[in-house]
Amino acid sequence: MKQFYDFKVEKIKDLSPEDKNLREEYLDLFYKNGFPNKKEEDWKFTDLNSILSKNFDNITNKDFLLDNKKLNFINEFEHNHIYLLDGKLISSDLTYEDRNKISIIDFNYKNNITIDKNNSLNLLNNALAMGGFTLEVSKNYKLNKPLIIYNYFSKDIKETIINNKNSIILNDNSELTLINYIDNKSKDNFMVNSMENIEIRRDALLKNIFINNSKSAGYFYKYIKSDLEKNSVFENYILSSGLKFNKLDIEINLNQEYAKSTIFSALNLLESEHQEIKTRINHNSQNCQSYQKIKNVLSDQSKGVYQGKIFVKKIAQKTDAYQLSKALILNDDAEFDAKPELEIYADDVKCSHGSTSGSIDLDSLHYLKSRGIPEKEAYKMLISGFLGETLEKLIEENVKFFLLKKLEGQINGN
Amino acid sequence: MKTEDLKNTQEYKYGFTTDVENIRAPKGLSEETIKFISKIKKEPKWMLDWRLKAYNRLKVLKEPNWQKPKYPKINYQDLYYYSAPKSASEKPKSLDEIDPKILETYKKLGIPLVEQQRLNGIAVDAVFDSVSVATTFKEELTKKGIIFCSISEAIQKHPELVKKYLGSVIPLSDHYFATLNSAVFTDGSFVYIPPSTRCPMELSTYFRINASETGQFERTLIIADKGSYVSYLEGCTAPMRDENQLHAANVELVALDDAEIKYSTVQNWYPGDKNGVGGIYNFVTKRGACRGKNSKISWTQVETGSAITWKYPSCILQGDNSVGEFYSIAITNNFQKADTGTKMIHLGKNTKSKIISKGISAGNADNMYRGLVDIKNKASNSRNYTQCDSLLMGNKCGAHTVPYIKNNNATSTIEHEATTTKINEDQLYYCNQRGLDQEEAVSLIVNGFCKEVLQQLPMEFAVEAQKLVSISLEGSVG
Repeated sequence: MKQFYDFKVEKIKDLSPEDKNLREEYLDLFYKNGFPNKKEEDWKFTDLNSILSKNFDNITNKDFLLDNKKLNFINEFEHNHIYLLDGKLISSDLTYEDRNKISIIDFNYKNNITIDKNNSLNLLNNALAMGGFTLEVSKNYKLNKPLIIYNYFSKDIKETIINNKNSIILNDNSELTLINYIDNKSKDNFMVNSMENIEIRRDALLKNIFINNSKSAGYFYKYIKSDLEKNSVFENYILSSGLKFNKLDIEINLNQEYAKSTIFSALNLLESEHQEIKTRINHNSQNCQSYQKIKNVLSDQSKGVYQGKIFVKKIAQKTDAYQLSKALILNDDAEFDAKPELEIYADDVKCSHGSTSGSIDLDSLHYLKSRGIPEKEAYKMLISGFLGETLEKLIEENVKFFLLKKLEGQINGN
Repeated sequence: MKTEDLKNTQEYKYGFTTDVENIRAPKGLSEETIKFISKIKKEPKWMLDWRLKAYNRLKVLKEPNWQKPKYPKINYQDLYYYSAPKSASEKPKSLDEIDPKILETYKKLGIPLVEQQRLNGIAVDAVFDSVSVATTFKEELTKKGIIFCSISEAIQKHPELVKKYLGSVIPLSDHYFATLNSAVFTDGSFVYIPPSTRCPMELSTYFRINASETGQFERTLIIADKGSYVSYLEGCTAPMRDENQLHAANVELVALDDAEIKYSTVQNWYPGDKNGVGGIYNFVTKRGACRGKNSKISWTQVETGSAITWKYPSCILQGDNSVGEFYSIAITNNFQKADTGTKMIHLGKNTKSKIISKGISAGNADNMYRGLVDIKNKASNSRNYTQCDSLLMGNKCGAHTVPYIKNNNATSTIEHEATTTKINEDQLYYCNQRGLDQEEAVSLIVNGFCKEVLQQLPMEFAVEAQKLVSISLEGSVG
């Protein structure tokens, strides 16, 4: 197979000799494994290596290009923001908040995120990562407005890989609604490989929303590791349709009692888009709750994958864990693969999962048509009902309205 | 001594050994061993070539290691690949010529071959270590044109059928254990049902591992020709030993147009003792091909024995409108481990499959359902329904569910659900209140939990299986 990538640690400026050596070691480890393929259990349904080799001639890493772009703000609702260009923190704006309570700084590479040595993309990230941010919310502070992270990508990143790391810390009893917003109109192929470390301390609440402005020819992989303390809540809403390739790899550790996590996903995939959600929920303590609802609508030659694992430790009695994946397949060339997995070592638990995939319900379609709604409209109604349901639990009305509008736009093919 | 004996029979009542003189192949896996087996079976050259081809393939294959239950490395050179009672070296022509000791063994196992000849309506093929010792009811079956004999006999007498179908479902180079089996398989059953024939009785094979340091590698091939029906039962036991014995069988089923095969297994190999010493490694490849239109293959299994069970009876639904079914109960207690499930590959149009899996885990055991449902691009209007339920008893065991679900067709539907719970305390309380003690109550509830699968078994087996379910869980409560 052709070699379609060429990565060099030297391209990163201002590294100490020790750092450089360490990064070289990680790069060597990456080269040993290469990009993941179907032989790895975590990539059972996706051969990333062959996908990349088909779509790239030579991926390289670069130092930052500073092509400052004007932000296109979302003006549907008031918000704070962080501006990231090619993964680097450019600016932040906390107009609506008490600035002493939140800090946003460049990611400190002294605090490495622990990784799984078998995950070659993590190894690559450790070798090449630059930029990124650390966000910390002080004790008892609840943000007044949501915080949007504008992820912009510059024009000249064709055949380039961007690696970065972020860290988000919510101290005791704090609250934050975060929107990860990718904006890029370039038709050129590029790759983004990021790692995020999230710590949610006692009684804190984090809402993490993923959405894109437009279609993108980017190939995204994001690994999120999160640790939850007592009584904390972590909610995820994934609506990131429109990317050429996207895999979200989410690990949630429910480390103390009464911690709770949810993952809701609504994806409408078109053309040859590929989206994958991989989750690993570790119930490490008793009385914790986890809930996952993954919904996909697949058209054209798109492919959706869900690999979810619930792991219940021996001591995690009274666990309540649920997993549901539902897919509508609208074309014979589209594909949906799922692996909803349970690994359970405690006996007093309530764990279940369900998974369905199939065509749109013909009875419902008939019902709508018999009431004078044209078939195309009826399809759209059913799809938006199917996907929109995942946002029911989101309380922020203005954000919800914005997301539903985006979803509608995706369904109409914008 | 007496009480000791009694205790043993309580735990695993088939744990005795039979003292018969054996003929063995030279120890270890080599070309010589394969030639020895082929020679002693008086096989034609094409069969030996086939075996050697498999052996050559085996040399480059690696043992798989993705399974959940890990086991110490098996030394394949330290095993006997062929062991047969001396008295059977000349195949007995009638039951009268069989070594009485072997007949006695089967009697102890509850399979009195002699009486069965006259009374019971089940035709039995009994396999003792590496050879088939007796097949009953031959005449009556022959009248209908049904072939039911050992695979060694079929290789000699019906080479055209064997050549056509052997390895057509499980290819030579499929995976390590299947290839190993292809190289060294010793005996097993062969069934051919001619077109438009309904097999008048249940066919049954009873497998027994007797000799120590032996691996059992049997091969079963069942062909149901157009419009035929057959129900086939399989039972297995082994003596109690403190070594781990390998059992790597291959079972191939072929159903042509409108044919139906029902394959039931009650697997009760020696599971090892309470501390996890000894027991059988049950690494079996079972696969059925619904090759014809409207064909159907149904697997039912009750897995209570073996130290490690690692198998996935599968259906390849090639013919349009074909149906695949899988009903399974897997019970693991003490240090037993199971990694079992099924694969349903939908290729033809309007194909349907159904999976019902019940896993029960007690003691320090680990029980895993692993299954694949794959609806391919051309399999329009196909359906799958999967239900896997797990029951945990105690907090030292594990129950795991790993389904792989692939759908590549817009008109096909897959439904999957799974639950993991412990025994409902309200139900237990209700039973206790009505005078059942804890163990009886658990047994009753577990039997109810398994009912959907037990119902699929032929009557004679269902009773045995129900008892087995209770015995396997004895001592796991409280």
